[in-house]
Amino acid sequence: MFAIVEEPLDVGALIRDAQMPGCGAIATFVGTTRIDEAEGAAVQYLEYEAYRPMADRKLEEIGAEIEGRWNVGHVSIVHRLGRVDPGEASVAIVVAAPRRGPAFEASRYAIERIKEVVPIWKREVWSDGYVWVGSQLGSRETATW
Amino acid sequence: MIRVLLFGAAADRAGTREIELPLDDGVTLSEVWPLLTEKHPDLAPMRDTLAFAVNGEYARVEDGVSPGDEIAVLPPVSGG
Repeated sequence: MFAIVEEPLDVGALIRDAQMPGCGAIATFVGTTRIDEAEGAAVQYLEYEAYRPMADRKLEEIGAEIEGRWNVGHVSIVHRLGRVDPGEASVAIVVAAPRRGPAFEASRYAIERIKEVVPIWKREVWSDGYVWVGSQLGSRETATW
Repeated sequence: MIRVLLFGAAADRAGTREIELPLDDGVTLSEVWPLLTEKHPDLAPMRDTLAFAVNGEYARVEDGVSPGDEIAVLPPVSGG
């Protein structure tokens, strides 16, 4: 399953969907909101936006790339949009494969490719302003606005 | 006309998420950029960081655009 959603991710359900008799390994990567702190300020939450449907299509392309490179039985990539509070999941990747090597490698590949090609952006909302990650632009004084 | 969609920091700087621009036939993506910065000068410093898409797929600046196309201005992506 490849999806972009606005509600909290149900990682357990994604793992259950990946369980199948032909696979002996399920690797799961979950990206979560981390509270960074600097100069007496802290991240309060992250906010994600996407260019759809291009972003949806790019997730599917990553899935196709994985199936072309590794022997896998199942790939799910789900990314959340909107506000994601500390500790909550913004992205979940679940790869089932007959053996653990391809499952680990493919899940790592998926998150790295997401960060390269999928048109999704995150804004760190700090206690003293915000920063667009990647552009390093925003309303915080420390950003290069 | 073409529709230009802006995302992330680019939308923030321009103060809008969507712009319509008049466009002649036989124009490349690189020729759209000055039309955009004329309307939204705050975008100009971002130029080197940006990628572009035409009709939902990454495009090179030398690619042609036609009336009716949807252009997207894409700051460095930061999903995950």
